[in-house]
Amino acid sequence: MQRLRRVKLVDALLWVLRIGIVVGVAIGVWATLSAGKLSGDQWRNLVIVGIAQGSLYSLIALGYTLVYGVLLMINFAHGDVFMFGAVTAFFVAEALAADGWLNANPAIGLLIILAVSMFTSMIVAVLLERIAYRPLRRAPRLVPLITAVGASLFISNSARGIYGEQVKAYPRIDALEGPITLLGIPVQKSQALVIVTAVVLMAVLWYVVERTRTGRAMRAVSEDKDTAALMGINVDRVISTTFAIGGLLAGAAGILYALVFGQVHWFMGFLPGIKAFTAAVLGGIGNIIGAMLGGLSLGILEQAGPYLLLGGLGVPSPNQLRDVIAFSVLVLVLIFRPYGILGRPESR
Amino acid sequence: MPAPRDLRNAAWLGLIGGAALIYLCLVGLVDAFAERNVITDVVTLGRVMLMLPPLAVGYVAGRRLQRPTLASRVSTGALAGAVAGAILGAGLLFASAVDVRGIFLRITPAVLDFVAFGQEPVVGAVLNVVFAAVLGAAAAATGSLAPLYRRPLVAGLLGIVIASLLEPFLRPRLQEFELSWLARLLYQDHGLTIASAIVVFILVAAVTAFYRPARTGVQQRLARADEGTRNTVRWVTYLALVALLLSLPQLAGPLLSQVLVLVGLYVLLGLGLNIVVGYAGLLDLGYVAFYAVGAYLTALLTSPHSALGLALPFFVALPIVVAGSALVGLLIGAPVLRLRGDYLAIVTLGFGEIARILFLSDALKPWLGGSQGILEVGPIFGVSAIDLPILGWRLTGPTLTYYPLLFFSIVAAFVAWRLKFSRTGRAWNAMREDEDVAEATGVSIVNYKLMAFAMGASIGCLGGAVFATHLQSVFPGSFVLNVSITVLAIVILGGMGSIPGVVVGALALIGLPELLREFAEFRLLVYGAVLIVMMLLRPEGLIPDYLRRRELHDEEDEGALAGPEAALDTMASSSQ
Repeated sequence: MQRLRRVKLVDALLWVLRIGIVVGVAIGVWATLSAGKLSGDQWRNLVIVGIAQGSLYSLIALGYTLVYGVLLMINFAHGDVFMFGAVTAFFVAEALAADGWLNANPAIGLLIILAVSMFTSMIVAVLLERIAYRPLRRAPRLVPLITAVGASLFISNSARGIYGEQVKAYPRIDALEGPITLLGIPVQKSQALVIVTAVVLMAVLWYVVERTRTGRAMRAVSEDKDTAALMGINVDRVISTTFAIGGLLAGAAGILYALVFGQVHWFMGFLPGIKAFTAAVLGGIGNIIGAMLGGLSLGILEQAGPYLLLGGLGVPSPNQLRDVIAFSVLVLVLIFRPYGILGRPESR
Repeated sequence: MPAPRDLRNAAWLGLIGGAALIYLCLVGLVDAFAERNVITDVVTLGRVMLMLPPLAVGYVAGRRLQRPTLASRVSTGALAGAVAGAILGAGLLFASAVDVRGIFLRITPAVLDFVAFGQEPVVGAVLNVVFAAVLGAAAAATGSLAPLYRRPLVAGLLGIVIASLLEPFLRPRLQEFELSWLARLLYQDHGLTIASAIVVFILVAAVTAFYRPARTGVQQRLARADEGTRNTVRWVTYLALVALLLSLPQLAGPLLSQVLVLVGLYVLLGLGLNIVVGYAGLLDLGYVAFYAVGAYLTALLTSPHSALGLALPFFVALPIVVAGSALVGLLIGAPVLRLRGDYLAIVTLGFGEIARILFLSDALKPWLGGSQGILEVGPIFGVSAIDLPILGWRLTGPTLTYYPLLFFSIVAAFVAWRLKFSRTGRAWNAMREDEDVAEATGVSIVNYKLMAFAMGASIGCLGGAVFATHLQSVFPGSFVLNVSITVLAIVILGGMGSIPGVVVGALALIGLPELLREFAEFRLLVYGAVLIVMMLLRPEGLIPDYLRRRELHDEEDEGALAGPEAALDTMASSSQ
């Protein structure tokens, strides 16, 4: 009897929370819009920046989702895989930019940098799986999770020790400066490149997962490892491949990040990592389309949200609280819809 | 002669060892410790680092032999070591020929010179191969020794390293006690002298060799003694322990007392997190939030400069702080506790970050002071120094903070110990092992999870409260993610669910690094490595809780049940 009442208390608390959030959001949005603090153009720019950032999050989120799909574990160190590729490729970029070669051949140069970053991240991800996760595949859930936390620390601090802790400014590429008009909307060229690259990579990923033998094996392993093994699938290799694909995407995201923000450093994996995880959960973890959608919505929410929700409530410097918005989204999604936008309750 | 398979195995191990050696050089550990003497003019800490991988791979190569004989052990160990040394040598030659400093900052000419033993690169490379082969062979040969001899040997070598690390604290202390002659005898140029290293080795080895027989002897005699004697012995032991703990800051001096306070703080935090992670099995990565709440609440209530301006005495504020933190624990816990383990970890991580950003933000600046924090938190007893008339001790700063910390730690350890064997503790055990089964047998999951969160929060806030009064101010910069991770590493290293484990973990992960000032930037790297290595090799921790050990070695137990040794082992661990 007592137990029943207790559960109801928690439920009541959650309902109060739900109503409070809806009311708070409504008041904030109404207050902001009626005050007309930002013009239509400014809102549009926020959304575009949001989409560009969101596509970065999507690329990283895909790594989380793929790994979760086959192993049912959160690869905490994925953000640091992303970092390692970008920081390593920095030295290649610097070498290429040394005598203006990069500016003369931006397309080939970018492809080289991208390849280096993707390759490095892939190696890190595969090694990570081989050394830290594979021996623990049958251990209790808490064990690989703690290992992943340790791996995250280890990778980021290795980068700090090996490459130094200062922020590294990526060489600027003239061809990517200035705006370009897409569908009648002016967009920064670097952001346009980010969006286009992300879309292309996601299309390739969709093709690989849905239309190739490897993809079919991955889907089979994610359904049921033991049965897949009985059908003659080499489960270890499929899991390695999954980590490799996640690493490749993360490496690409690393370079895109460097293009947008112009700098890289050893700690840059942490926040994008958490946010990408949020995106993956938001879209429904284990679901590839969900990760893409989740990334985009989180990016837009994070850019426009602080002004839209908090600005109207008279909170000073709402931009400081941007990360709070991202984390709150994560917490709220997990509480109220842990299976995400596209997931189904059973798949939790 | 070892079989070809064993040789392949050894070569493969050597490759791994070589990768480890190169990594140590690249990441800067060799560079940082190249100058720190262990035994002056003989070996530095940087060299010790370079000796570890060949030793490790040599030992493992010897252990993995199909049919081990001394000769085959030595030859495979030497092979593994030589391969590792050859890789380091190749790296040395490469780095000497091509300038890599533009990318790898730590590969300075000084490091290359150090790795090459001060010789030309080619000579240095050859020396490395020989040196590593000898180390590998020696390590493999120890595999042939009976544990009776091997254990004192390893302990003695470890003793030398630790004795040399203690130098910056021990030497000034010895001089204060007018024992300069002893300090001069022991240490020279910040390292041990050759003679003192031999003495330390023999002492530690002898103690290790005779510890076990002596302990069993005492235990047997105690078992034969009558009830009264046993009680007397027990109380004398307790009294001696308490006296030692009480006089520790006086023996250690202000410098080491500061370290003791840090260790104490983390013991307290570790005890709290141990309840959440170790007992209830909930991975909380935002534990720093409770620490921060405790510190900020204390500051708000006791500082005359806070927004509340109450300036309450510490011990009046304390119950409010504990109640407030427990409430925060419940509030954070209530919505997230339905989540499964890995989601819970990320959400608590998110909460930890939210707390930090909120403490730092302009929005809450009028109350929490933004980046400036809250100043002038009152000292814990209302005064900054206490003179003890009988003993002639003057307690101030860390030597004063030590005592409330000790008190709170003992209280927390006692509570944790009693909880462990209570109905609640058993409910946590059941829940950790299998949530669904526990719920089916009538354990209210939500209630017990909330209780674990609240308990963890109130112990963590005690740490925060003492921390605030110790610094006499709070800044958001003190409450970063790293604190959560550090506490987690302590709990994991010591052993989840193990109370003595927390103390050992804190001593190893907080105390040892304090002895090595050069170590600061590698701290988190090592914590990360500790988390991975412990989970891979010894998930139950250094001082395991017997329940956890059985849980984590499920399959092995089942598989080995047939053997009489395993059965004995199981019986021994269940009767503990």
